[in-house]
Amino acid sequence: MIHTGCTVTQFRQEATQTIGNASLQKALRGATAHFVDGRQAAFDAFPDGEAIRDHLKEIRGATISNLAFYLEQFEQNAQAAGTIVHWARNAEEAAAIVTSIARENGVMLAAKSKSMATEEIKLNHALEAADVRVVETDLGEWIIQLAGESPYHIIGPAIHKTKEQIVDLFEEYRGRPLADTSIAALTAEARHILRQQFLEAGIGISGGNMGVAETGSLVLVTNEGNGRMVTTLPRIHVAVMGIEKIAPDWDAAAAWLSLLARSATGQPMSIYTTVVTGPRRPEDADGPEEVHIVLLDNGRASLADTSSRKADYAEILQCIRCGACLNVCPVYGESGGHAYNSPYSGPIGAVISPLLFGLEKYAALPHASTLCGACVDVCPARIDLPRMLLALRADEVEQGIPSPFEQFAERAGTAVMGNAHLFNLAGKMAGWGQKMFTKNGTFTPPINPTLDRNLPIRPQKSFRDLWNDLDTD
Amino acid sequence: MEARKDILGRLQQQAAPLPMPSAWVSGRQFEDLAAEFERALTAVDGEVIRVNSFDDGMTALGDLLAELGVEKGVVNGERPLLTANFSHQFPQIEWHIVGLSDGNLRDGNLRDFCAVADVGISGAAAALAETGSVLIESGAGKSRMATLLPPIHIVLLPAARITADLFTWAAAQNAPPPTNMTFVSGPSKTADIEQTLAIGVHGPKRFIVIVYDQ
Repeated sequence: MIHTGCTVTQFRQEATQTIGNASLQKALRGATAHFVDGRQAAFDAFPDGEAIRDHLKEIRGATISNLAFYLEQFEQNAQAAGTIVHWARNAEEAAAIVTSIARENGVMLAAKSKSMATEEIKLNHALEAADVRVVETDLGEWIIQLAGESPYHIIGPAIHKTKEQIVDLFEEYRGRPLADTSIAALTAEARHILRQQFLEAGIGISGGNMGVAETGSLVLVTNEGNGRMVTTLPRIHVAVMGIEKIAPDWDAAAAWLSLLARSATGQPMSIYTTVVTGPRRPEDADGPEEVHIVLLDNGRASLADTSSRKADYAEILQCIRCGACLNVCPVYGESGGHAYNSPYSGPIGAVISPLLFGLEKYAALPHASTLCGACVDVCPARIDLPRMLLALRADEVEQGIPSPFEQFAERAGTAVMGNAHLFNLAGKMAGWGQKMFTKNGTFTPPINPTLDRNLPIRPQKSFRDLWNDLDTD
Repeated sequence: MEARKDILGRLQQQAAPLPMPSAWVSGRQFEDLAAEFERALTAVDGEVIRVNSFDDGMTALGDLLAELGVEKGVVNGERPLLTANFSHQFPQIEWHIVGLSDGNLRDGNLRDFCAVADVGISGAAAALAETGSVLIESGAGKSRMATLLPPIHIVLLPAARITADLFTWAAAQNAPPPTNMTFVSGPSKTADIEQTLAIGVHGPKRFIVIVYDQ
């Protein structure tokens, strides 16, 4: 399996490192605050925003509940326009489809537009194993490709990198120092380097923000223009899209698009919204000669299947991948994106990673939440993430995933808290026990489960003692 | 084919579908669509020039080309741009008119020219007032490279094609779409380095719309 998972220990270690790294904390605060403020300003200036969120929620719910119908309609209309439609049950199948298209056409270089679905199937590894060089062309995604890392955020893959780190990466790539290291100059440098790659690439690879069933169209949203480049210059365009990303018609697409950029970056609309309906026609001046769409299941269909045990989680398929939930999450804001060890981080990642890649492997993630509900408040489709986080925790217990020690501790805790006398006694015992490890007013237990936090000292008198001492007359 | 059968088979286990809501009716009403379009596009670093007629638009375009010091320009071969004789009106500039300058239209020539052109000029199929977006479409004489590769993209937009928002646009769609439609809402942008806005990553660095009344 290509996603290695995230245990509690792993999550804690990675998060602890991030928390202890001042520049990383500053970058995280800066980026998430930037996105949160932008989103708020966009919705303040969008009078129907809340009602359109309700509308989108209804549309997404109805679409997911009848997904086979819309997928078939999408396929039929896409094929009628000349698009070649492929179906992939899992990551391996999807990567193999794209790789064989590249190989059959003798492609040496692939230019990629930012896509979470291709991160999910680890497409770059598969292509490189088949001797196809891959260049990420979204500036943030290219930066992390140069650094050999995975995306830190659904919307901003490189938000954790400082300008100085990026200068180092660029200089290493060019093999010489840069004369001008301003952000404008770095952007110009990237434009210059990547422009050549677009022109040389034999295949353009993208994700898909949505597929519109009524016309068989693929919608791609970018700010930089790389989405337009990969669907215009290379002879072949291949898009990899999750099967849940279907909008039945243009009304649905309009609702989706009017919330996507506002929720993600606070823009009323992304700079480029590209709609691809088939390869170039005889009268067209330019455009790719072949267009392929790979419809990726990879665990999604079993979430929508109402006869499946996982059907409680069908709601997660309503997600449009705007990343708004990451920005408001107090856990993501401290732990950062890499702690989740999944292409999907934050609240959406905490729910979807265990569902798509295995609960046992990603057992830590349903606990990477305070259940504060800030994610629901900003979700454009009003997905109830805390409900599913709790359901996943219950599933963990049901499946016996927690360690025997944890299961024992939970049972003991339940017994103690359910009995006033036991609770009182346990409190007193804890107070005595604590004294052994308290020096100069600091409690230092031999094992500190919080790793780096100071634990409180039990006061001389408990609340219960104080209450009993009160003169109740 | 096995994969298709498996995936659809799984989904066909679903219970009865939930009802689809009826289409959203846009509540946005702008007294002056062109003014709202100008406000919205200017707010996202696009540029708008408003004139009375197409001829005035061509005059404004001439001033702009001189000011920008354009030496090479590519023009989409679509109406009403086709009626203007660019080589005659602006003889100091080397022009490539898509569909006219290039007989067979296979990439070669057009791609090479677009890659070095200073400006790309196109018409527009529609525009959205609320977001300052311009819809450009593919088709005969309409190159995607012309509006993408040069550092400057200039659009001549008839004011009558401006609609309120995405919903009013969607409600008017009844024909199958062309191969490529792109809503452009400003110059190419990124904030991927320290959330600092930088203009002109891959697409045009300047996006200028000349809006003309009929």
